[in-house]
Amino acid sequence: MLLKKLFRTLWHYKAQFISMVIMIALGVGVFLGFNIEWYSLDVSTREIYEATGFADFRIFSDSGFSEADLEKVLAIDGVEDATRYLSVNTAVKDDTDTIALTVSTNMKVSGIQLMEGEAYSDTDPEGIWLSDSYAAANGIHVGDSLTVSYKTITVSGKVKGLVKSSEYLICVPDETQMMPDYTSYGYAYISPVMLENAIPMLYRAVLGSSLYHQINVKSGLTKAQFVEKADKALGATRLILDKSETISWAEARGEVEEGITMGSILPVLFLAIAILTMVTTMHRITASEKTQIGTFKALGFKDRRILRHYSAYALIIGLMGSLLGIGIGYGLGRFILSPDGAMATYIDLPAWPLYAPAFTWIVIVLINVFLTVIGFLSVRKMLGGTAADALRPYVPKRVKHLWLEETKRFKSLSFSTKWNLRDCFRHKSRSFMTLFGIVGCMILLVGGMGMKDTMDSFLDTFYEQAINYRYRVNLDTENVSNEEAFALAEKLEGDWCAQRAVQIGDKGYSLEIYSITRDKVRFADADMKILTLSDDGAYICSRIARDFHLKAGDSITFSPYGGDEEITVPVIGVLDSMTKSIVMTAAFADRAGISYTVSTVFTDREDIPAGGSILNTQSKKSIMDSFDTFMDLMNKMIWLLVIAAIILGIVVLYNLGIMSYTERYREMATLKVVGFRDSRIGRLLIIQNMWLTVIGILIGIPAGVGVLQYLLTALASEYELKLVLGPATWLVSVLLTFGVSLAVGLMISRKNRTIDMVAALKTEE
Amino acid sequence: MAIVEFKNVSRVYRNGEHEQRALDHVDLSLEEGQFIVILGPSGAGKSTLLNLLGGLDSPTEGTILVNGKDISTLTPNELAEYRAASVGFVFQSYNLIPTLTVIENVALVKEIAPNPLSSHDMLRAVGLEDHRHNFPSELSGGEQQRVSIARALAKNPHILLCDEPTGALDSETGVMVLKLLLSMARDMGKTIIIVTHNQNIAKMADTVIRVKNGKIKSCEKQDHPLAVEEVDW
Ligand SMILES: Nc1ncnc2c1ncn2[C@@H]1O[C@H](COP(=O)(O)OP(=O)(O)O)[C@@H](O)[C@H]1O
Ligand SMILES: [Mg+2]
Repeated sequence: MLLKKLFRTLWHYKAQFISMVIMIALGVGVFLGFNIEWYSLDVSTREIYEATGFADFRIFSDSGFSEADLEKVLAIDGVEDATRYLSVNTAVKDDTDTIALTVSTNMKVSGIQLMEGEAYSDTDPEGIWLSDSYAAANGIHVGDSLTVSYKTITVSGKVKGLVKSSEYLICVPDETQMMPDYTSYGYAYISPVMLENAIPMLYRAVLGSSLYHQINVKSGLTKAQFVEKADKALGATRLILDKSETISWAEARGEVEEGITMGSILPVLFLAIAILTMVTTMHRITASEKTQIGTFKALGFKDRRILRHYSAYALIIGLMGSLLGIGIGYGLGRFILSPDGAMATYIDLPAWPLYAPAFTWIVIVLINVFLTVIGFLSVRKMLGGTAADALRPYVPKRVKHLWLEETKRFKSLSFSTKWNLRDCFRHKSRSFMTLFGIVGCMILLVGGMGMKDTMDSFLDTFYEQAINYRYRVNLDTENVSNEEAFALAEKLEGDWCAQRAVQIGDKGYSLEIYSITRDKVRFADADMKILTLSDDGAYICSRIARDFHLKAGDSITFSPYGGDEEITVPVIGVLDSMTKSIVMTAAFADRAGISYTVSTVFTDREDIPAGGSILNTQSKKSIMDSFDTFMDLMNKMIWLLVIAAIILGIVVLYNLGIMSYTERYREMATLKVVGFRDSRIGRLLIIQNMWLTVIGILIGIPAGVGVLQYLLTALASEYELKLVLGPATWLVSVLLTFGVSLAVGLMISRKNRTIDMVAALKTEE
Repeated sequence: MAIVEFKNVSRVYRNGEHEQRALDHVDLSLEEGQFIVILGPSGAGKSTLLNLLGGLDSPTEGTILVNGKDISTLTPNELAEYRAASVGFVFQSYNLIPTLTVIENVALVKEIAPNPLSSHDMLRAVGLEDHRHNFPSELSGGEQQRVSIARALAKNPHILLCDEPTGALDSETGVMVLKLLLSMARDMGKTIIIVTHNQNIAKMADTVIRVKNGKIKSCEKQDHPLAVEEVDW
């Protein structure tokens, strides 16, 4: 019998029931989705680091490492394994593509994971194990032949396997390229034997064992420990980078951290709203069922059964919401993490399984327990006292005089204003929830669209504006003199730049020396305003400024890699930059006695001579194109957020609106009897919504900006982002929120047409 | 002249197969300025009659003329206007707005009635001037019903409709409220139609209508109704 009653209750309060289920589904879904995202990424990246022996340290030397050097490193206490390693950008024959040709003498370190084809062999004289993503993007299959060249050296072979490697987990040529572009850049592994065969006898005679510029090491030592031991073992100070200084580690970890950050804000917002909705709604439902509850009690049902009945009602809502939410969560996870999903365009993982962290299940169980307790407590409140007490209908809080009623202004207000004002205060939790829903809606809209504005402005400053050249010509620094480079820059009517690796403490940075006379490259200050470089000192990027607590007026000391020389220069400004770099003009570098070799020429001219000292050419267009997928992902996320915001707004407001409508049903019936028109009563109802909406929007704007700023600060480890909100964002978020509120208000206020005056007034007060 | 005329009025409630005739082909004519009492057992159709006349409900069949105007065919908005201008209601439950004070509850009608009376005067007349800034929940049942009467009369309607106005009050308070209601309405020259179980009230009526099973059983004119003071309560 009670069971039948349970289903009738479900049906009777279907609007509330559906609202609660949706809110819980959204809350659980967003919570689970975000946590699945970072956690699965964490697990999958760790798996490929493990499977392909991602190195913990990289020791660099321009003169290369011999097998004896490797032995010395392997002998270090605390080193698990090591390899001699070479990665060099080569040009693909008959194409403008670049392939990072890679050799690892010990594939247990910095190795590969085979996706298709035959296993790698370190004696194979012609096998190429090519990045499967590059192969797919360029229509290359196992068995095809491939020729690449580096300067005068040509390597030809057959693609024997398609692979993935954690060393190229985020496959970009350098930090300035934000997203991988497999149509033009990939990597390939060949065996040491094939490498040696490819190098002419003459070269080898001269270079000896110096083919390998790197020793990659697996070790659990700290960087300081390792640097000390390695320098001692090798008898020289070497440039040593740990894994946190590689793109493939840092950016992937950054993505996980980002997920954790995002996962700790949005889901909390949704879950909080879901639980608050549940609390208010359950209270209202049990309140309006109070006489029924009393009847059960009077009939002789034990309190325990009645409590169980309503707890079960809450639990059913919780379970249905959770089940739906788990679906949404996995859907969200799948949307971001799938072979052709958004994240796959960035991180090159062999598989995209979804994992939910254990704590999410615990939280979901706790949510259901909590909801059941809410149901339990709401009904217990109604059960208090004797059966006769319980039989008495629930009386809402008495109206109290508001302090502001004493003011003159209040007395002159229209009755509808007074009515609504008192009603808002009488039902504080309902008003508060309405505000909360609107603020939440605003936060999602401002946050989501603001994120896009910020990214747009970031891309516009750093790429559209700062890159004022059409081509970037990379020179072979080992074979080009500065005079030749100057001449080339002159001939191409371009500007040029020289790069040097430097160290501050034990961290690696890049020193960039520019000669800009034709405005081909521009720089932005910390406020993302374009500035002209001055010749009076050095500029540092905001991350160096932050890490070393430096500002304009201080001085900075750094040393070029591999030497003990220390250079101290005045800091005259902070730049917002994609790379961790120190920037200065050539004029200043000359004055300060800093030597350099020109590595890049920036030009608009198409007639760039091929070969010679030119390594390769990159076009601005190819750089900009690589953002397309990224922006695509961004837009999808924004859409998701906007849809979530609208659903949230509609569900919360509709639920509360129905509640308010039910509570004022009798009052509205009275007004109708007295002779008020439906439209007038509708306006009365909607006006309260509109007030709360306006207040909610006023709170929501700073709240949205605050949340966005928090996110941007939390994400700043990857790149500096300056919060930008476009006029469209303001307009759309305010109008959309207002529109949702108005639409819901209209939907509810229309219902008063159907008020049955006779029935409404027949019931006892 | 007849202020109210029911011509062959029926109100049928349909509940699936079941059909309930709350009013069954009723013909009725009421004079202006009269005091009319409706008597009848519970479920007879008294409230239905009053609700139809008050424009809260529409007949299934027949026409209802008030001041010569057919109200059975009005649109919802025209009905609202009719209620605002022409009828005052007093129910068994007081139906005050809990979030408005006593004076505000009465002043409410100024928003819609074409020629309302002063809310202060009305409150003074029902003896609640001192309570005007209280909320309804701060008053007793009898006091709340007096507010309801003040509100009904503040509209300055042609007809005052009262459906068991004392049903929820103890008999002493009930008598007091009834006396007040009647003396005020008579002083103002209103047409009053009241549904009640109080036999004493019937003695004061110009017309007594008895209803049973949705039909008018009798409609007697009393040539010498007693005055309020003459009734032995
Ligand atoms: N909404 C309704 N649905 C079905 N039947 C109704 C409804 N309202 C009233 N009735 C029926 O109409 C008849 C007359 O009701 P009513 O006019 O309220 O009687 P009373 O004389 O007690 O005021 C009753 O039998 C009642 O059951
Ligand atoms: Mg009745």
